[in-house]
Amino acid sequence: MPDGTSRALIPTATTLADYQKQRGFQAYQRASGQGAQGAASILEAVRQAKLRGRGGAGMPTATKWQVVRDAVATRGGPPYLVCNAYDADLKSLVAATLLANQPFLVLEGIMLAAQAIGAREAYLYMHSTNRTGYAAVTAALNEARNGRLLGDLTITVVGVDLGFMGGEETTMLEAIKGRRPMAQQRPPYPAQVGLGELPTAIANLETLVQVVNIVRDPAAFAKNGTPASPGTKYVSVYDVAGNGTLLEVPFGTTVAAILKNAGITVGTDTTRGVVVGGPEGGVLPLTQLTTAFDYEPLAQSGTIVGSGTIEVLGPQTCMVDWARERTKYLTEQSCGKCIPCRTGTKRIAGTLAGIMSDVGVSSDLDLLNEFADYVPDGSLCGFGWHATHPLRTALRYYPDDFKLHLQGKCPTGACVPVRSHRFVTKGVL
Amino acid sequence: MATIVRERPGTGSGDSFERDDHGQPSFTFTIDGQTVEAHEGQTILSAAIAHGILDIPNLCNDEKLDPTSACRMCLVEIAGEGRPLPSCNTPAAPGLQVTTKTKKLTHIRRTNLEMILSDHNAYCQPPCQIGCPTHIDIPGYLELIAAGQNREAARLVKEVLPFPYMLGLVCPAPCQEKCRRALVDEEIAICRMHGFAAEQCIDDPPTPWPQEAPTGKKVAVIGAGPAGLTAAYYLALKGHSVKVIDMMPQPGGMTRYGIPEYRFQKDMLDKELDGVWNLGVEYQGYAKLGKDYTLDDLFAAGYDAVFLGIGAWTSNPITFVDNTEASPEDTPGLINAISYLMDKTQGMPVPVDPGTEVVVLGGGFTTFDCTRTSVRLGAKVYTAYRRGRAEMTATPEEVEDGEAEGATLKLFSAPTKLISEGDKLTGIELVKMKLGEPDSSGRRRPIVDPGTEYTIPCNTVIPAFGQKPDVSYFPTHVQGVKTSKWSTVVTDPWNFMTDRPGVFSGGDCQMGAKTVIECVAQGKLAARAIDGYLKGEDMAAISQRLEAEERKPDLISIVPYKPVEPKVKMPMLPYEDRKRNFKLIEMGYTPEQAQRESARCLQCACPAAGQCDLQMYSIEYGLTDNRFHDGEPNDFHDYEVDISHSFILRDPNKCINCTQCVRVCHDVIGPNCYGMFGKGFDTIVSTPFNVSLHETDCVSCGACVQVCPTGSLMMAERELVKYDFALDRCIFCGDCVEVCPHGALGETPNFELSFYNRVGNGVTLHMDDLARAPDYLVDQRVPRRKGDVPGGTNPLIRPLPARRIRE
Repeated sequence: MPDGTSRALIPTATTLADYQKQRGFQAYQRASGQGAQGAASILEAVRQAKLRGRGGAGMPTATKWQVVRDAVATRGGPPYLVCNAYDADLKSLVAATLLANQPFLVLEGIMLAAQAIGAREAYLYMHSTNRTGYAAVTAALNEARNGRLLGDLTITVVGVDLGFMGGEETTMLEAIKGRRPMAQQRPPYPAQVGLGELPTAIANLETLVQVVNIVRDPAAFAKNGTPASPGTKYVSVYDVAGNGTLLEVPFGTTVAAILKNAGITVGTDTTRGVVVGGPEGGVLPLTQLTTAFDYEPLAQSGTIVGSGTIEVLGPQTCMVDWARERTKYLTEQSCGKCIPCRTGTKRIAGTLAGIMSDVGVSSDLDLLNEFADYVPDGSLCGFGWHATHPLRTALRYYPDDFKLHLQGKCPTGACVPVRSHRFVTKGVL
Repeated sequence: MATIVRERPGTGSGDSFERDDHGQPSFTFTIDGQTVEAHEGQTILSAAIAHGILDIPNLCNDEKLDPTSACRMCLVEIAGEGRPLPSCNTPAAPGLQVTTKTKKLTHIRRTNLEMILSDHNAYCQPPCQIGCPTHIDIPGYLELIAAGQNREAARLVKEVLPFPYMLGLVCPAPCQEKCRRALVDEEIAICRMHGFAAEQCIDDPPTPWPQEAPTGKKVAVIGAGPAGLTAAYYLALKGHSVKVIDMMPQPGGMTRYGIPEYRFQKDMLDKELDGVWNLGVEYQGYAKLGKDYTLDDLFAAGYDAVFLGIGAWTSNPITFVDNTEASPEDTPGLINAISYLMDKTQGMPVPVDPGTEVVVLGGGFTTFDCTRTSVRLGAKVYTAYRRGRAEMTATPEEVEDGEAEGATLKLFSAPTKLISEGDKLTGIELVKMKLGEPDSSGRRRPIVDPGTEYTIPCNTVIPAFGQKPDVSYFPTHVQGVKTSKWSTVVTDPWNFMTDRPGVFSGGDCQMGAKTVIECVAQGKLAARAIDGYLKGEDMAAISQRLEAEERKPDLISIVPYKPVEPKVKMPMLPYEDRKRNFKLIEMGYTPEQAQRESARCLQCACPAAGQCDLQMYSIEYGLTDNRFHDGEPNDFHDYEVDISHSFILRDPNKCINCTQCVRVCHDVIGPNCYGMFGKGFDTIVSTPFNVSLHETDCVSCGACVQVCPTGSLMMAERELVKYDFALDRCIFCGDCVEVCPHGALGETPNFELSFYNRVGNGVTLHMDDLARAPDYLVDQRVPRRKGDVPGGTNPLIRPLPARRIRE
């Protein structure tokens, strides 16, 4: 893997002995030896490092943990910790790779976080279909338990297969509670009212891995990234053919540089656009590839860090069809609880299908623009808030695709009509 | 007032909380600038409701349930929050600044409703019923006809319309213009259907209700037309003694003397009118108001109230383009349209025969009655109208039939003068008209196109420019009743009373010449007003009540997704068989055809209309259509209706996934019969494994029905039955009465362990109690709105009578 802006993943360690050779559990043992002071020192280190959650939203981890600790003071405890090792985006390679290659690193992250907030019970929430990862992490867990490394911490592995919605944090908690996995209204935030109505910290496994790195060597962590988002991020990069690579890149690296590091060359003849952020991510045209891979710059370009997946779309991609495909997927993945997400995405997909099938009219664009705001404004959880990034970026960067389809022509000639007539407004009465 | 010291969230200042009247620590925040008090843990919505702020909409919230925030209707803006938050779930906090009405919130709420409606495979009120001036329960009688119950169908129609056979033939059917089946294929022959039902039982007509006991009050109805006879019918049903007085020998008014035989046969009219006489209504012919008697004479004769239904029998004179007029009395060859039709229906000689060339002027119903009568008499007929075909007030079918039977249409033609040789008419000169500039009302009036005059040779001209009532004798003979400048009788618009107390008026003489169905509608309303007057009610209150009951468009066109099924056309007499005779041209449906046609009805009626929160908010947010019609089948859901349960009817097509039933069944009642199933767009509330509700652990408590904001869950109409119970083991403890969550046993007089029967003095179970039980159940349906706003008082919503869910 070419270096410079990215570095290869840390070496595999699936046994305790291997892991301990890589300075494993030293950070934890140092912190746990100090008791309450150790907990405060972990929190302080994370705060100093300005670590932001790697799950996609980019909330400062220390702030969240502080909320948990404050909530414990008023609502009682002990709090819970949930490690999100669920790759909601099936194309994301992060959790699968980390669980399979570095299960002990993940466990140490959980242990540090649990100590920082004072949790005695933690859940490792992962994809039930990830057999390799499950085998590795349960073996590691057994070894850690037998080695009496966990102290009084209980770690329970929860395997689910809930589609894209399973990555939403309140849905995750419902699933762990054994309820129907549907999103819950925030506030109250899980950090205040979570599992067992007690404060619950939810952190992505990648965040927890970074916590270990920070506690081990804060200076090395601070060396990378931008002032707003220090450190590195794992990204899964896919070429047109669908071959994926996992890279670790410092925040602030441009999308173009990430693609180059992954060995993918893009050009107008081979690339129509680059999707950043996974199923809810927006598409960037080649002119926008200088965007830095960081929360704020990506938001300005109309997309998100999301699952950290970067996909290259081939020259035959019609963006109307691409946005329709994405929205249709989201329609199927929505938990179906709130109206804007359940039906709004369906109507967006239907209207896009109308345009894509050359039966659209120009007023459909007004409707799409209206719904691009309505769904995020009205929706209950992050799923709905971000569900229209594909639509918005397609409208923003590829207006000609829509224009051509409204004239009855596909910009790439690849579209196959799926509707025979469009939605019609009829005034009756 | 006691105070406790506690840290105020967010401030950390250690302020003390006040305690409110319930002893709860309380604090204040603002909603739309109004300061409200809330206690800790209270939601914004709950605090708002407690302070009388009731206009935050919500579809999924209920006080006794945990909030779920699914409907996104109660979203409010909170200062400092990035996005709108649901007030049902967000706890109130000291100093919050809440805004409940912004443009953005309205847009979100309105679009939410649109989204719900776009997948709400159901209807509120049938538009046909709103379109009909008498508001017949059209889906109701069509369903009955489809089930072969023609007599019951006729009875249902007679609740609002006493002459279903007559109207089945002569009504222009405003209902059919509104028929929603037209969105699928073609409208239903709604009007002809009640004619069919009534025809099946014309010799033994049902009455809508049993006639009430005589009241001893006397009412005189002047004019035996549709309005008068309708008023007489309903007054007689109310137990009043009614006498109908008419100037013509036989009753029926214009329907007998103005409508030609080929449209409506008079022997059938006699049969249908027997329904009126059978109620004890008297008839006196040959007595003309203003000639034979006066209004004062009637009151002197002891009548308590009078209904004036004298109709509009004076034909308007012929008006030429230069605004001169000519009247039939002093112009040879000019015939009065009404006298002509009247003479023909009475079998008297008419001045039209096979040698005659006739020009009929006008574009209304009378015009075509004259045209087609003349054609049948063998004359050569021209029909001239100064506007185009689309502007004609006669129905398109009638115009088509007139042409097909042999009349020649001359459109955009107005008369300029009559041409006579001596005292013989030899022709009429007409001039072509064209549409002028739009006038202030935006309508393009026809103007003369100069130099386009042409002549039609003829010896008879029948001007049929409409009629007006003859009120010339009112000042002297109809004392105290005002007339307008259009020669109509002036009444209150809703209770139909004239300026003279006890004198009412309706029909053509009150409106100017209109259709039969509009006259019937007025007769019916007037009968109710007269009944109220005779019982001494306040007339202003009656007026208000009748206005409130008048149905207005309520919503809503949703998803008509039904297989196409062609209309069953009325078998008509072939054109060649219509020559030179007055045979009825509509040959009537066979029972099989009628059943097939009735079964096409989409049953656009919801038993929850008027009680439905979704309907209420949709009206409030001005939704009368939605933007997602005409999609592909996979854009909507078409669920099976579950009617297996004895008491609870489940129609998932109307479900909005508010999950109130899920929560109330699980959290409050316990059996846990409902849950959410499916994913994404296909998420729906259902029973475990989608079994019928009957197969679940349902305890039939009805709590789910009570919380359902739409008509998705409805109580089945049911007859109370007696249950066996072991009398030898009952110790009359009354525990069953106490535990019932709905007071179903405690509050009814029908159960012997009920409060009344155990505690009340001398309360015993009568047969009557049982008979009243269904009404009692209907009354018990609690309005579902939160707070103290019963849905029934919303002026926008008019409830339908309780009806069963249709399969």
